[in-house]
Amino acid sequence: MRLGIVRGHVTLTPAVEELMGKTLVVLEPVTMANLVAKNGLGGGKSLVAVDALGAAKGQMVAFTEGTEAANPYWPTRVPVDAYCTLIVDSITTGNTQTKQHEVRQ
Amino acid sequence: MFLARIGGTVVPAAKHETLDGCRFLVAQRLEADGSAGAEPLVLIDWLGAGDGSTVLVSTDGDIARERYGNTTPARMVVVGILDEVQTPNSIGRSA
Repeated sequence: MRLGIVRGHVTLTPAVEELMGKTLVVLEPVTMANLVAKNGLGGGKSLVAVDALGAAKGQMVAFTEGTEAANPYWPTRVPVDAYCTLIVDSITTGNTQTKQHEVRQ
Repeated sequence: MFLARIGGTVVPAAKHETLDGCRFLVAQRLEADGSAGAEPLVLIDWLGAGDGSTVLVSTDGDIARERYGNTTPARMVVVGILDEVQTPNSIGRSA
């Protein structure tokens, strides 16, 4: 999984049936330099992921990419290749701890 | 599969229901020259890898599906803790 910051939500009209009712978020992946700097920046190429956890704008999530991202909907086949697996509360790297509220801007 | 160095831990505020009780680690992918990848990765670990450990990561979700069920989105799993790698410009021993 990579880490990403929620930058916004996406609504689709129309969309394929398999995406109906799913929440889509725009994620900005976080680089190690920005994570350690705790500057609230991402730095990666943004992407759209399905979010079933209710992540808010500015929160950091870890997202799964690839076919595994569609596993939560098994055995239904869905066109999902990025899925928010967890919302970060805090991350400890070395001897510094990044809390969720420090990520928000 | 690839090698990664553990750099920290993640405490989740919320997570997918299949991953209750899982240990999440932050790691950086290692290249053959020993340099680390720019983006941190979050791994699932049940072997007990610690800070500074070099681990082998599998990006195949099958082992996670076997453990956490068919509906788990888990993918990157620590499948081994490195003892030693031998290359011409060796990545070296685990810390």
